[in-house]
Amino acid sequence: MLIRAFTLLLLALASASASAEKLSTLTIYTHPSFAAEWGPGPAVKEAFEKTCNCRINYVVLDSGGDILQRLRLEGESTQADLVLGLDTGTMETTRQTGLLASHKTDLSGLNLPIDWQDSVFVPYDWGYFAFVYDTEQLPNPPESLEALIAAPDDLKIIIQDPRTSTPGLGLLLWMRHVYGDQAAEKWQQLKGKILTTTKSWSDGYFSLFMNGEAPMILSYSTSPAYHMAIDKTERYQAAEFKEGHYLQVEVAALVQSSQQKELGQEFLDFMLSAGFQRHIPLKNVMYPATDLGSELPDVFEKLIHPSAPLYFDPKTVTDNRREWLNEWLDAMTR
Amino acid sequence: MSHQHCSRWAAAPHRAPFSRPGWRLWPGLIIACALVLLATAGLGSLILEASLPDLSEFWRNRYLRTVVTFTLWQAFLSTALSLLVAVPLARILARQPAFPGRSVLLRLMELSLVLPSIVAVSGLVSVYGRQGWFTGLANDWPGVSWNLYGINGIVLAHVFFNAPLATRILLQAIESSPAPQRRIAVQLGLGRWLYWRAVEWPAVKPVMPGLAALVFTLCFTSFAIVMTLGGGPAATTIEVAIYQSLRFEFDAGQAALLAMVQLVICGVLWWLAARHGLTSSLLPDRRVASHRSKAGSTVWARLGDGAILSVFVLFLTMPLIAILLRGLPGLDLTPALLDATQRSLAIALPAGLMSVSAALLILACAGTASRPVVIRLTNVAACLPLMIPPLVLGTGLFLLFRPSLGSSNEGLVMVTLINGMMALPFVLQMLSGPMGSLDSASRMQADQLGVQGWYRWRWLHWPRMRRPLALAMAYGTGLSLGDFGVIALFGSPGQPTLPVLLYQQLGSYRIDAAAGTGLWLVLLLLLLFSLFNRLGSPLFRAGLKNNTSRILPEPEHA
Repeated sequence: MLIRAFTLLLLALASASASAEKLSTLTIYTHPSFAAEWGPGPAVKEAFEKTCNCRINYVVLDSGGDILQRLRLEGESTQADLVLGLDTGTMETTRQTGLLASHKTDLSGLNLPIDWQDSVFVPYDWGYFAFVYDTEQLPNPPESLEALIAAPDDLKIIIQDPRTSTPGLGLLLWMRHVYGDQAAEKWQQLKGKILTTTKSWSDGYFSLFMNGEAPMILSYSTSPAYHMAIDKTERYQAAEFKEGHYLQVEVAALVQSSQQKELGQEFLDFMLSAGFQRHIPLKNVMYPATDLGSELPDVFEKLIHPSAPLYFDPKTVTDNRREWLNEWLDAMTR
Repeated sequence: MSHQHCSRWAAAPHRAPFSRPGWRLWPGLIIACALVLLATAGLGSLILEASLPDLSEFWRNRYLRTVVTFTLWQAFLSTALSLLVAVPLARILARQPAFPGRSVLLRLMELSLVLPSIVAVSGLVSVYGRQGWFTGLANDWPGVSWNLYGINGIVLAHVFFNAPLATRILLQAIESSPAPQRRIAVQLGLGRWLYWRAVEWPAVKPVMPGLAALVFTLCFTSFAIVMTLGGGPAATTIEVAIYQSLRFEFDAGQAALLAMVQLVICGVLWWLAARHGLTSSLLPDRRVASHRSKAGSTVWARLGDGAILSVFVLFLTMPLIAILLRGLPGLDLTPALLDATQRSLAIALPAGLMSVSAALLILACAGTASRPVVIRLTNVAACLPLMIPPLVLGTGLFLLFRPSLGSSNEGLVMVTLINGMMALPFVLQMLSGPMGSLDSASRMQADQLGVQGWYRWRWLHWPRMRRPLALAMAYGTGLSLGDFGVIALFGSPGQPTLPVLLYQQLGSYRIDAAAGTGLWLVLLLLLLFSLFNRLGSPLFRAGLKNNTSRILPEPEHA
């Protein structure tokens, strides 16, 4: 009885809050780090709602992979008008579902390390994968991937699993890009230094790295920006590797079945304006997709500036991921 | 059987509410069938999407073979060790019913299982990790080199999560062992071994198979802990492989195959457990007075018990203290935190209530049904939520309910439902013992008097179910409160629950705030368990007077 009463109550509340709106609603599927209270999500919502005479409704899914999964499950009946938070690792598979629409956004203002021409996906931020180290534990970090691999085994690093995490997959591609067919061999040499391989970035960063378990963790080159700007500490820095760093680009796209394509298109245009982009550096802790000029926080000047972006075409990633994963698994479990 | 011939008596003009036998059978059976349907739908939708790969491929694939072997091995080791720790501890706790801090210790033990894994792992790492307190001490001993990462860490974490749960369930079983038996044992002055054989083992035996199956399944399906502490991909459980196939490779066939392997292994275990666990509870249980065994009362015995207990208390509390120390600086009762707390409770309390109600209905059904198939169906169905990988279950549920799922708020109702369902196996473990422990004399008397339906529940079951119900409610609520998986599956609206808030803070580098949120969650869980314990205690209404008989030992006959 009580349960039913409660369920009814919840349902009543739900419908009450839904019927209060007459404005059109733009539903965006995204992930937690974007939509969090401190992420860019709330500020972006406020800024866009001022101009669009509409409301933004975020549906927060666990990760980019979950956005894709949800979209596949829902197919044509999805309530999403827009997806935001896919990256170069998941975008090709999402494109192949045929559920996304092409955009009309002008991409000439983009400021990425690579040339970007894509009819479906619009980038909103980017960053490099990098090893972040604790300067107190490790004053002299390795200066290249090669030096890391050749370092004695008492240098411990924490990485994430390429099967479950975006940076984890990033390192797999990074190794593959630098070493090609020798990657498996190099993984075997690296193996002794890997303290553990966590499920997600959060598990490793929170439970292990910030507990001082290892002096180095696979993360982003922009991570120190947060520590410097908000935590006011220069203790954590990214190690710059000579071979270059693997690039991650985060993207958004319109959904084909959306009834709000124009509004969605408006949002994509807004996404490349300063009103959106100025929230990226410190709230998403990534590089903005356009040139913010003097608005870019000073701490970004202190970050590493990798000489060469390493990058595989998303299609290459999709075509080879399984083989490369198996190669990694084989090397690591032998 | 007795209630069947008594139905003539019950057919009096004034029927008690819910007194038709159907009321005891059907609701539980329907719930059980719904659970089976859900599981089948989840798996079926995957199989429909892609054909099952050839079974022979499974044995040819070295990786899959390693995964299954490793999963079995670590689960076996973790279960064995957890039970090995739990049995002596439960005996000690039963022997020593009145030492200072016992109640706090019990609350902390209840807590360990419901801790969100990321918080617990952080605590464990602070103690047993490379920079941990324990590691520093251990490695000072010559010849000792402790390394957390690998099978060590996995088993340690699983014991940390499961041994206290197992102890708690075993303690409850020992404490509810038939009083006459205990009294005679005490009067005969039985030593520890004989007391174990005569009193404790018979009490523990019926819950053991179900408990072992529960712990095994929990360890078997463990995911994030195995990865964080396992050291590398050599430590991969089937659950990880399923995640990989579904999320990264969209290989529904392989995912379904792996899910079926998991289901078969755990399902067989539960089936066996259900078969062996059924013969419980035909012994009379009328509480006259409590008796302490002589074994626990000598000075040496107390010292020994105290020493073992202290080691366990250290094992249990050190990680919790680490969580406290780490979380305190970041603990800040912001409106966001309080909002999330409210939201979490709004999901967790109904979910707890739901799982307890469902468990009672299922137990009533199992108690009424005459066919063993139905009984076993109810037993296994209730444990299905543990065995089906959440991703598979989520997919199935999604396909089933999607068309009617309008807004995210209705999604929250869904989350509540699933959370309740996920807590069901635990709640059922808490309740099955006490529910069955009604002695046949009382039962027959009630039958003859025509005490049926609601009145039977109110006057016969409720007085002795009160405490276990409160504990079950605490577990059901606590599990939902700490849950991250289910809500992540269904997607949340912008406003987070506590665990989601924690992950959001982590995702935004707010490490200190996240540690604070973790601590807050732990404190909230502790409060919840204490509160439900108070509510379940008969002292809650009757005042303190009754308690004295518990503490005073029976005059001993030497």
